[in-house]
Amino acid sequence: MIGHVIKYQRDNIDTDVIIPGQYLKIHDYAELATHAMEGLDPNFHSKVKEGDFILSGRNFGCGSSREHAPIALSHSGIKAVLALSFARIFYRNAVDGAFLLPIEIDETAYQNISEGDEISIDVKSNEIKNITKNQTYKMKPFSEIIGKIIEAGGLFKYKPD
Amino acid sequence: MGKTLFEKIWDAHVVVEKEDGPSLIYVDRHLVHEVTSPQAFEGLRMNNRSVRRPDLTIATMDHNVPTNDRSLPILDQISKIQIQTLEKNCKDFGIQLFDINSPNQGIVHVIGPQLGITLPGSTIVCGDSHTSTHGAFGSLAFGIGTSEVEHVLALQTLWLEKPTSFEIKVEGKRKNIHAVTAKDIILSIIKNIGTAGGTGTIIEYTGEGISDLSMEERMTICNMSIEAGARAGLVAPDEKTFDYLRNRKYTPKNYESLIGDWRENLKSDSDAKFSKSYTLNIDNIAPQVSWGTNPGMTCDVTDSVPNPEDYSKGDQNQKQAAEKALEYMNLKPDTPITEIKIDRVFIGSCTNARLDDLIEASKVIKGQKVSDKVRAMVVPGSQMVKKQAEEMGIDKIFINANFEWREAGCSMCLGMNPDVLSPGERCASTSNRNFEGRQGVGGRTHLVSPVMAAAAAINGHFVDVRNLDLN
Repeated sequence: MIGHVIKYQRDNIDTDVIIPGQYLKIHDYAELATHAMEGLDPNFHSKVKEGDFILSGRNFGCGSSREHAPIALSHSGIKAVLALSFARIFYRNAVDGAFLLPIEIDETAYQNISEGDEISIDVKSNEIKNITKNQTYKMKPFSEIIGKIIEAGGLFKYKPD
Repeated sequence: MGKTLFEKIWDAHVVVEKEDGPSLIYVDRHLVHEVTSPQAFEGLRMNNRSVRRPDLTIATMDHNVPTNDRSLPILDQISKIQIQTLEKNCKDFGIQLFDINSPNQGIVHVIGPQLGITLPGSTIVCGDSHTSTHGAFGSLAFGIGTSEVEHVLALQTLWLEKPTSFEIKVEGKRKNIHAVTAKDIILSIIKNIGTAGGTGTIIEYTGEGISDLSMEERMTICNMSIEAGARAGLVAPDEKTFDYLRNRKYTPKNYESLIGDWRENLKSDSDAKFSKSYTLNIDNIAPQVSWGTNPGMTCDVTDSVPNPEDYSKGDQNQKQAAEKALEYMNLKPDTPITEIKIDRVFIGSCTNARLDDLIEASKVIKGQKVSDKVRAMVVPGSQMVKKQAEEMGIDKIFINANFEWREAGCSMCLGMNPDVLSPGERCASTSNRNFEGRQGVGGRTHLVSPVMAAAAAINGHFVDVRNLDLN
């Protein structure tokens, strides 16, 4: 998976800024996507491209249980969010609906990857390659169940062995 | 080795357990509302599935319902569709619904305990992060997303990784229990452990500072566990818990026969091991006011707005976060909290809109008027709370002081219905999140207790309610 990075260097990006409450009534995902990140970055919709990644700090996706948050990002084209840590409900929502990959990274990756860098993510080898800067970082491997749900393509496709 | 309360409830609900892997956990009660359920029901229909246990599933509408006159039509067409969709889904799938005209309608986390749906030792889920509220009764209760809602509707179970147990011991006694509230205790905890301090854990609140609290106060504490990043909060049930749930609408017929076992078993063993612990002494804590854009950015009412340099203690991320927060909140460092002027007051939400909250707030305003610079509203947590308050004449106290007295719902806590802040407006709010735009685009939220909110409404700025006569 290869894409460009949109970086928000801050902790605690909450689901209210990812998709503000007033839009939770919207059922059309394409329309929902036009409001993604609106609470934090009104330019997000115009700059995001299919296949992009978001990079951010600790506790990404904290707050509400709204699955609209990963849905809005996913339908904006975001394939993965790389963060130092995630809030639990956002993390599961991202995986359960196969909306995007929540990738836990370390401080080195966080500090070295810049806005606009082209990176590739390999979840088999748990490696992130920064193509722009020619660097390699480690990602935290998925736990067993998360890995299996991702592999299956979502919670409803997952069949326990 | 002994077990924690969380481990006991977890073990009692394991359907399948894999070594070092996830567990399939049985769900005793599933609460449903209009915002996070439509796609889940749609998924059931697409796959020709039914609801496995409609008898364990209860629905209400709370997030986007208007809080003005209920005999009027709903003007927001999209909200109306979402409300009608829940009605249709509940009808099609045979689920009990407390609709907008029901005397039992209200915020899902307020009505669950009030109706006796919440029970000690049970597992409760809902597509809402503040499901942690129900943990006050010693039930393992947590928020889930819409995919998980669909999974529970179809199978009454969830695949989960086992969280760890985190003990938060609250020691000491508050000197003024009317001025320093449960809200101040939980905000103090989050201020100290941070918004990710509880990540991956179930918090069990223990100690004299918790056992002294009423059930309603314990709900306020457990409610905001999610703001510390925890999956859930728990309080071991005691006689207060058992008394609260007696003779409620859905209290089980064999209730008395269940209590003995709960009393005996629903507590952490003395030799149980917690993976983490934190102790807060509340002897001298002050009323709290949030100054920033997450609930951890909170200080004493007697403090001043912090300087990002001092606040961050050298952490550049923290410093930047504090600077951005102050910019959004339009606050200058070193401004005394009591000099911050407010435009709006919201007394409501699943955190602080139960009967006791309204009674306590009403003591502050009796015989006084809301400042002419402030618009203030009370949104009771449920229609039942509203009715009880009206029977006691509490509504008159608020109305005579120029508060708006509204119908039950989530309202301005999350700004989904017409109750929102205008850009730039500053609000003293009894809700749970002060995120940017949470109460309306550009709105500025200060989290406080109901008494602090009421006092701010009268004075037009924050005041230390310890200086008021609240008896």
